[in-house]
Amino acid sequence: MNEAIFELIKKRTVLLDGGMGTELFKRGFPQGACPESWNVERPEVVKEIHKSYYDAGSDAVLTNSFGGSRIKLSSYGLEKRCWELNYAAAKIGNEAKPKGRFLGGSIGPTGKFLKPQGDFSESEFEDAFAEQARGLAEGGVDFLLIETQYDLKEALCALRGARKASQLPVFVTMTFDHKPRGFFTMMGNSVAQCIKELEGQGVPAVGSNCNLNSEEMAELVKAMRELTSLPVIAQANAGKPSLTDEGKVAYSQGLEDYLRFIPQIIQNGANLVGGCCGTNPDYIKRMAAIIKPN
Amino acid sequence: MSKEELLARMAKAVLDGDKEEAVALAKKAIEERLDLNDVLEKGYIPGIQKVGHLWEQGEYFLPELITSAECMKAAIEVLQPELTKAHIAVRSLGKVVIGTVEGDIHDIGKNLVASILAANGFDVIDLGADVKLEKFVEKAEQEKADVICLSALLTTTMMGQKKLIEMLRERKLYGRFKVMVGGAPVNQNWADSIGADGYAENALTAVDAAKRLLKK
Repeated sequence: MNEAIFELIKKRTVLLDGGMGTELFKRGFPQGACPESWNVERPEVVKEIHKSYYDAGSDAVLTNSFGGSRIKLSSYGLEKRCWELNYAAAKIGNEAKPKGRFLGGSIGPTGKFLKPQGDFSESEFEDAFAEQARGLAEGGVDFLLIETQYDLKEALCALRGARKASQLPVFVTMTFDHKPRGFFTMMGNSVAQCIKELEGQGVPAVGSNCNLNSEEMAELVKAMRELTSLPVIAQANAGKPSLTDEGKVAYSQGLEDYLRFIPQIIQNGANLVGGCCGTNPDYIKRMAAIIKPN
Repeated sequence: MSKEELLARMAKAVLDGDKEEAVALAKKAIEERLDLNDVLEKGYIPGIQKVGHLWEQGEYFLPELITSAECMKAAIEVLQPELTKAHIAVRSLGKVVIGTVEGDIHDIGKNLVASILAANGFDVIDLGADVKLEKFVEKAEQEKADVICLSALLTTTMMGQKKLIEMLRERKLYGRFKVMVGGAPVNQNWADSIGADGYAENALTAVDAAKRLLKK
């Protein structure tokens, strides 16, 4: 199965999934709870969300394990259940997965900083990620996606941890801000620095997710494509979220404007395309019509 | 070294994130009996302000902001006993109670706002993340705070900001504290619609917003 996704990437643009958190909230997930806990408490809900993305046309969906590193789980006092919650995430994903499609194990940031800005050492990060990756790999994901990384050093810790725990392909997406001098991560890593380092470490697919809208993402993809011949991943937000006085969430870009830039994202060189915050199965369905017209 | 040179070096130490130099200069200022208000106002504070500008221009990033804020803190710690001894009250710009609202564990932005406010001369009480709304009010009353700062990263937890203001109204405390809100999904419209006094897009504008609110 590991090779199959690379064959698909060679053949055509691969469609990923969209937002998970908002889909959980739509189905009654309570504020302040740990999203990964529902892999055990309400697996049928998580499975339904995955299924809705596969039905919409996703070639690969990502497990409900974004905050599943031991360090992130410790914010909820769930650090001892790291393996269990990630293993369950992978199991549910596999139950939802139709034949011939793929399941990626999502690994998000710890939410903490490495020394000297924070309290953690690189080996502590590495171990926390390794445990998560082990759960995901043993649960049967096809690849791992280290995503939404705002610190290249942390991304590299996750990469080492993931590789210690499994033989699976490990992809990495970084999160960039649009600054006056170009795109940089929150910690100040440039696009060139990220691509060079990740490519140097033999990461088989690199890219970006979150924060940028689809128009900005198209520009970023162009910059990434000029720097690498690796498959490029792009998962844009549907703009910025805002909340109405009644508590309704709206994203500034909206569906039609978001879709307007999908052809450009592909044309500029993205090979794996999906959504991020503010996107849902409706977005993916419309993206499928662009990416896979037949 | 002239006083002007020393003050310029203080600003530069903060700008460069050179903690050793920042501390050494603070000690030197005490030895040489410099006017400690000048040391702050014309030495260290212009340094952290320049850091803020560089961040806004995209030249500095989060690590530099944190390191420079820590330099400030270290220098002020050295100066503090002397200031107290000399009965010079460090002119606090105001007392701020800050935290991420309940149900939200995200604290990167909140921590940054807290340290930049402190570095700019506010007295900051950081309640951490996932803080019960009740606790914000309790602490603000107890500490006689001027400002309550509420952070939220999630669209679901943003409602906590609204609820806190409702809580203040119910308890007839609305207006006693200035309430500032922030976080990735938060904007000025939201702040206005819930009756918050201030909104800031980032840690630097938070300093300006807090100063502006307390001037009134």
